[in-house]
Amino acid sequence: MAELRTEEFQVNMGPHHPSTHGVCRLLLTMDGEQVVDIEPYVGYLHRSIEKICENRSYAQCIPILDRFEYVTSMACNFVFSLAAEKLASIEIPRRAEYLRVIMLELNRIASHLIFFGTTAMDVGALTPFLYGLRERELIMDLFEMTCGQRLTYNYIRIGGVARDLPPEFIPKCREAVKIIGEKLADYEGILNENPIFLARMKGIGQVEADHAIAWGVSGPVLRASGVGYDIRRDDPFSVYDKFDFDIPTCQAGDNFDRYLVRLNEIRQSLRIVSQALDGLPEGDIKAKVSGNFKPPAGEVYSRIESSRGEMGIHLVSDGSKKPLRVKTRGGSYNQLQFLPEVIRGKGYLIADIVAIFATFDIILPEVDR
Amino acid sequence: MTKEALQSCIAERFANKLTLLESGRYDLMFEVSAGDLIEVAGRLRDDDELRFNFLCNLGAVDTGETLEIVYSLASITKGHRLDFKVIISYDEAQVESVIPVWPGANWYEREMAELYGIDVLGHGNLVPLLLPENWDEGYPMRKSWDSPDFKRLPEV
Repeated sequence: MAELRTEEFQVNMGPHHPSTHGVCRLLLTMDGEQVVDIEPYVGYLHRSIEKICENRSYAQCIPILDRFEYVTSMACNFVFSLAAEKLASIEIPRRAEYLRVIMLELNRIASHLIFFGTTAMDVGALTPFLYGLRERELIMDLFEMTCGQRLTYNYIRIGGVARDLPPEFIPKCREAVKIIGEKLADYEGILNENPIFLARMKGIGQVEADHAIAWGVSGPVLRASGVGYDIRRDDPFSVYDKFDFDIPTCQAGDNFDRYLVRLNEIRQSLRIVSQALDGLPEGDIKAKVSGNFKPPAGEVYSRIESSRGEMGIHLVSDGSKKPLRVKTRGGSYNQLQFLPEVIRGKGYLIADIVAIFATFDIILPEVDR
Repeated sequence: MTKEALQSCIAERFANKLTLLESGRYDLMFEVSAGDLIEVAGRLRDDDELRFNFLCNLGAVDTGETLEIVYSLASITKGHRLDFKVIISYDEAQVESVIPVWPGANWYEREMAELYGIDVLGHGNLVPLLLPENWDEGYPMRKSWDSPDFKRLPEV
């Protein structure tokens, strides 16, 4: 029988794809059914946020940067406000610090609930998506009653926060924390021992710790490979050193570990929110910042732990009303450039690529800006 | 390491290669000359006391007179942070790639090359990342860039 000729071919997992969680084009090089290499093409959501911010005052940059990573928009506001406050040496009132922490942790829980829902959906389990979003609605209601918005909050401002909590916030927040804590046990019951879920997740998408650090990967992806690095504990910002929480890590660094790390992070965030509500001091919610805010010339790189890893802003001021440079850094940027390293040479199928992409929890606006 | 201890550690190891600048408002900011970049980067990563194995950020800044390329580093194992920059002119807008030291610089350098027009030597794959493939209208992030569509807002 004659020798059959094989050759590699390329398949486009195009910008419009239900599993790429945004507009990301992956060019897959296939050898039969196995993926040999992938090449991400990004830039479909490039809105030139950094150039726009150079043409706005500091306070006007905050709603623009909301859209830098709209799933964890409190984090974008937070990191920019921290950078501007460091430049101008502004002291934040204690109540504002606690409110910021509460909002950031609630946003982290909401983002991880989306992760939970969409990851389960990507591997075929359609029901957990509705459970995750149902619990996220509790958090969306809390945000809406505080700042009027469900997704892009414009709440954490330079000097503090925009508005104080309405009176019904604290009882509703405690109730939400209680409900989400109980439902987490249900979520784990559905998925953690499901043979199909385990077959799709365990042993797939291994990430080595040193390889990840060299590529600048941070956040749950790094913690699932055994490196317990969390900026909230290792480079603390705001009042995180006052709270008692653990940093969940796993050892194997595969899809399942990344999923477990994020579920456990929801638990730790619930602990932080409860402690912050218990210890919430009275007082001002915003320091006096002039309407004509002009920080002295200088530069600073401020970083926080967002739900996708390290989010940073390098802010350069020339002493005028507008920033000279706002360089944004998101966790998904490094994770997306690291993705080909994870899958090269392993013989994964396209379904595995979908699962790995989902557990990396890449959000495209953070990549494209 | 505290900031003071870090500053003295850098001073004794990199005496004249890393000069401390005044513009860093929170962390230490140094300046490196373009010729020393790879050597200094490698030693910052490999030194036992410093261990700067994590590249947080790599971006270019157009100050109006020069281009500055700012590197922000962190140490996962030791927990300290450092920034340094390389200052280059518009006419000689090129810098060496630090991919041999931190592979994570890959896309950061591609983005810097297409938005600022900085040639990154030794990168190997300077294909546009964020801009469309057929973009030929200049380097958008430079202060001197203009376009009929780019409307500057009135003064706030």
